[in-house]
This record gives sequence, C-alpha cells and structure tokens, in this order.
Amino acid sequence: MGYGDVQMIDEKGNRVDGRKAGDLRPIEIELGVVPVADGSASVRWGTNYVIASIYGPMEAHPRKIQRQERAVLDVRYNMAPFSTTDRFRPGFNRRSREISKVTAEALESVVLLELYPRSKIRIEIEVICAEAGTRCVGLTAASLALADAGIPMTDMVVSVASGKINDVVVCDLNKEEDNYGEADLPMGILPNSGELVFLQMDGDLSPEQFQEAWDYNMDAATKIHLMMKEAIANKYGGES
Amino acid sequence: MSSSGASDGRTSAAPGSLVIPGDKICTDSGGQLGHGVMKLDGSIIATKLGYIVEKGGEISVTPLHTAYFPRPGDLVLGYIEGMRANIWFIDLGAPFNAILPMSLAPMKVEFGATRDAMNVGTTILCRVQEIDESHSSVVTMKGMGLRKVNSGFVDTVPPHLVSLLSSGNNPILSQLKDASNCRIILGANGRVWVDGEPEGIRTVRDTLSFIRDNGDSDNLSSKVADHLKQGNGE
Amino acid sequence: MGQPLVPELLRTHLAELAARDERADGRGQWDGRDLSVEVGVLERAEGSAKVQMGDTIVFTGIKFQIQTPYPDRPDEGGLMTSVELRPLAGRHIEPGPPSPESIEMARVVDRGIRESGCIDTKNLCIIAGEKVWQVIIDCFAISDDGNLFDAFALAAIAALHNATLPGERFDIGEDRPLPVNKTPIMCSFQKVGGRFIYDANREEELGGDERIHITLGGDDHVHSLQKGLKGAFTASEFAEIMDAAKQRCAELKKIVDSL
Repeated sequence: MGYGDVQMIDEKGNRVDGRKAGDLRPIEIELGVVPVADGSASVRWGTNYVIASIYGPMEAHPRKIQRQERAVLDVRYNMAPFSTTDRFRPGFNRRSREISKVTAEALESVVLLELYPRSKIRIEIEVICAEAGTRCVGLTAASLALADAGIPMTDMVVSVASGKINDVVVCDLNKEEDNYGEADLPMGILPNSGELVFLQMDGDLSPEQFQEAWDYNMDAATKIHLMMKEAIANKYGGES
Repeated sequence: MSSSGASDGRTSAAPGSLVIPGDKICTDSGGQLGHGVMKLDGSIIATKLGYIVEKGGEISVTPLHTAYFPRPGDLVLGYIEGMRANIWFIDLGAPFNAILPMSLAPMKVEFGATRDAMNVGTTILCRVQEIDESHSSVVTMKGMGLRKVNSGFVDTVPPHLVSLLSSGNNPILSQLKDASNCRIILGANGRVWVDGEPEGIRTVRDTLSFIRDNGDSDNLSSKVADHLKQGNGE
Repeated sequence: MGQPLVPELLRTHLAELAARDERADGRGQWDGRDLSVEVGVLERAEGSAKVQMGDTIVFTGIKFQIQTPYPDRPDEGGLMTSVELRPLAGRHIEPGPPSPESIEMARVVDRGIRESGCIDTKNLCIIAGEKVWQVIIDCFAISDDGNLFDAFALAAIAALHNATLPGERFDIGEDRPLPVNKTPIMCSFQKVGGRFIYDANREEELGGDERIHITLGGDDHVHSLQKGLKGAFTASEFAEIMDAAKQRCAELKKIVDSL
C-alpha cells in the first residue's frame, strides 16, 4: 500500500472520479436476473457488476453437512475469468474461499434458519466485473437475491467499505483508492437496527478516523437501503 | 445521519403495501401472526418480500416466491428419486424429501422388491401423512384416488398460489378445466397434473405460464378469464 | 446428487407432442427461441458479448495474454477456449471441478472457431520466436435453460468480432482490432420424442436423447461436427438437420455481422 504518495483527493475535496468524501459510486439494482433460479439479483456498483442466485431450500446433500435443527447456507463467492484486467484464473482461490465463509456467516445472522431444518440454501455469488469492494457488493447482492427467493430474514444486509486516502477518510473506496489508500473498513449492516453482521478492517486509522469511517458506512447503508426498496418497488409495484 | 446507524426507516405500513425483510408493519398489540412476519422489539416486522395482508386480526405477508412446506393432509404430486428395500424416497419440491414406506404403497410389495413395483422417475399422487420429529415427511398412497400417474403431464405454479386457484366465485381451476376439457389435479406442492388431448394440455400449460408471470396481481381470476378468451379467439 | 431426476412422464409427453409435430412451448421443429445478442458488455474484457436465447443467458469474454510461441511454430499465437459452468446458472449444476459436460462444451466450441480459420494465428505474432498473443475465450453461463452450446458459440464469435488487441496495456504498440476473417456459427439439434429439433430448452434436453452440433462458415462450409449422448441417427435425418442448419446459420451470421 502506498502511504499518501499518490494524490487522490485535492484541496477542494474532489476525488479522482469527481466524488466528494461522503459520496457513493453509482449503484443499480435489479431482481430476477437469472430466470431459472429460485431467486436472484444483480448489483452494478461503480464498475463492479455482481450477480447472485439462490437455490433452495432443498435437501442437504451430502448428509454430513446436514444439521438437524436448522438449514445450512452453502455460499460460493467466485470471480469470473474476465472480471479483472489480468485474466483471473478459474479454480480454487484462497481469497474467494475466505469471502465465501464470512459472507455465509453474515447471512446466517439474518436468515431464519430454524424454519428449514435439515435443508440447505445455495447462495451463488459471481463477480462479472470487479472494481474494489467486491465482497461488499456480493453480500449486498446475496441479500437481495434471498429476498427475491422468498427466504425469510429479519432484515436486509447492506455492505459497504469506507477507508482513508491521503489521510482523509472517504466513503466507498474505488479501485485506485483501494490500491493506494491507507485503510479499508468493509462492514455489513442491518439497516433497520444498525447492527453489524460483517466487519473487517486493514490499514491504519486513528480512533477519530475509525469513527468517521464507521459513520460513513452507516450513513451509506441508509441510502442503499432506500435504493433497494425503490428497485424492488419499481419491479413489483408498491401496492398489491 | 446519526452515528448509531439505525436507519429509523422502520415505517408502519398499510395492508396491501409491498414490504421487504426487516420492514416494520405495526406495533405489536398482541394480534395473531401469520406467514412471513415475526415479532421483534415490540413491533411486527416482515420477514419476506411480499404484500401485507390483514385478515380477521391476523397479519401476514403474502410472499412473491415461496418454497413448499409439507403439512399433514396435503395432496401432492411427487417423483420417486430412489428406494431402499422397504421404502421409496419422494421428491416433493420441498426443502427435504419425503419417504413412502412399503406398508403405505398402493400395491402389495415384497421386502426388497420396491424397485420392481415403482422405479425411479415414477410420478405419484400421494398424501402427506405426517411430519416426524426429525422433520421428515411421510407420504401415503393408501386412500381414494392416490396412485401412480401414467399419462398426462406435470407443470408447476408457485405453491402460495395453490389455494387461490381453487377459491372464489369463478375459481381459476374450474375455468381451466372448462376451457381445456382436461382432467386437472392441483397438488399442494405447486405441481399441477394435467391429462387430456394435447391441445387441451397446451391450453393449460400456456395459462399456467401466464399465472406464473402474473400471480401477484389482483383480479387474477378475471385476468385468466380474459387470457383464455383471447386464446380461443385466435 | 449426480444425474438429474427425469420423470418418465416427461419423456412420454414429449413423444406425444413430437408425434403431432408439436413442441411444448409452441415452437416449430426448427424454430429457435427469442434471441438477443449484445457486444461490448464486459468492461474488463478486451472483447465481449452477452447472448440470451429464451431463458438461457451467457456471457463470453475475450482476454489476451502474452506467451512464448511453440518452438515449431515461432510466429503463431495461441487460442484457448474455456467454459465455466458455475452453480449460479442452474439447480442441476454442482460445484466442483469441470464436469465432462463442460469440458466437451469447451472443446466443441473451440473446434468450431479454430477449424474455421476465422483467426489467423500468424496475425497474433509480436516478435517471432519470443512473444505471441494468446487469445482466451471465456464462456460463462448465467442461466441454463438449455442449449448452452449454441449460446456459447454465438457469444464467442460475436465477442471475437468485438475484440481489441491491447497493445498499449502490454507496451507493445497501439490497440488494434483483432483480425477475424469469418463468422462461423454453431447450430445444435437434439432428438426429442423420436425426432430432431433445433434449440432444445432445458425440459427438452432433460427428456431428449442424442445431440448433433454443426458449425458452418460462409458458403455453408462445414467446419466442425460433434455427436453427443446415446443414440443413433440415419443419413436422411442428418440431411434434414443439415438443411435446417444452413438456413439458421445464415440468419445468425447476418445478426453477428451487423453488430
């Protein structure tokens, strides 16, 4: 990580892509994009493009993954070969495996698993185009896909990452900011309660900067939650 | 925005409005809770994406999509997925398969002869007998009309529409039977068995596709009536 | 789980329909589903296309890498086709290493492109004996409702026509379009209910038997053939299919060339 040598925010507070410190990249949400799935969603976020689909609840195979008292979430996060500038080699990838795990754990905290004992719910997250924050986009898309599939949850999950560039705390890091910045704080937030189901951090943040980044994420979660409701209402109509 | 982060976005919502998981419907005043809702911190919230329904004091959310959940007494269409010496495993399109014990088969079966009696891929009309403690469902084929299905075709509708299709003044199910001259059996698991002339089957399948695409609009019954009329007028 | 469950009723029903020259979704024997093709849809790929046939949706991306040429062909670049059948695209798709089906798909799509000669590998030479371009065709399924073969093949050729050699990124010179001198098109036919049909959907695939894949270039030149799955066919059945292929390939070629 470069520490402050690359100029990414100027005196007027303009970032490389024209955003101000608290601005989100443009986000587009669509439901039902995989016609054969039980539920699905796509999220375009900056240049990110992620598709998530849901299958289940279904019988949990193999037997050894079955749990008597609740459903298990079988989550796969994966990057398509053409999602990155240098081709991403298909096959086992440690980073993808870690993201699959923390995503599953985040979603297990909201899905009402006890309603489907002994079954499994497949959550497939594919990054079609990557631009920083793919794990956040993936988790957000997965929560939308679960809602589309009619899987009961206590809340939606909105995930976003704030960080630090040139010693300035900013919301929603883009690619350059993620590469050359000094800190990255991705969070997965339940917008109705403000609770967290996902949290990671790396870099260097003072206590004040940490609070600033935290607040940016919380604020962003509210905005994105409204975007979710709007996208869903546009598709299905507000009234029955 | 406050640093506590709570969106304060829990707004009360009126019956008929679209809600997403986590949306607050109303304060918990001790009313009955139906499908797709739960109590949380003194409120009733939606757990599913769908429309709020209030009926006789009971609040529920009709989901846009839902999985089928076997209940004792349900008439269902299943596919035999496998067998052991004395039971068959039945796919009901549910979160877990059901079992059909030898003793509840429609014919006399010798121990070990399950495969000869009914093989993998057979379609059966059966009834959910019970759900045991390990959440397995047991189905039976002993009963009026329960049998192997040898002709016709099995299509699907979303399970939450099943009761809608056979209710009301001009039930959609009757409309379909009249328009197609086919025998139709609606399984609680959303599987629909259709048998008759190929033209009739095509009419039913085409209408079921229409229902799948428009299942959540109101006046589905009259919309289907119009759709059938259009089909005939071509 | 393994093999998907095929209800017996499905096969009987499809046979009944076939006997009356009908298909479940009302199509004619040689009719394809609603088709859409878009190019330039993947920002990080050097060429790309999205194809939708009914509810089957695929992306194909073209990526370039630089490699050393084979010693016996020092001025020729490389071509590789990969198929990703991810569980995203269907309930029946299990996670794990590439299945025999996806490997066959990749090889069949590859053959159609390669054997047509639409890419002259000598055009991919940078420095003879040292550096050549490798063209990688990545076929990716989003939704599998049948006939991924044709969707992948169509997306692949559309993406190739859309591709730009990234000279600038690799510091070799200017970006320039990838030279593609032909438009090979694949048509797949499956025996369903005792007769061949074009563009099987998933239901027909599940209840059907053998498949034949035909890739044709300009002037009906045949570039590749593949027969898959169990079953036998006659010479006259093949002739019928070939006629249908000629017509459909010409239609699809027009669509791709106009993008």
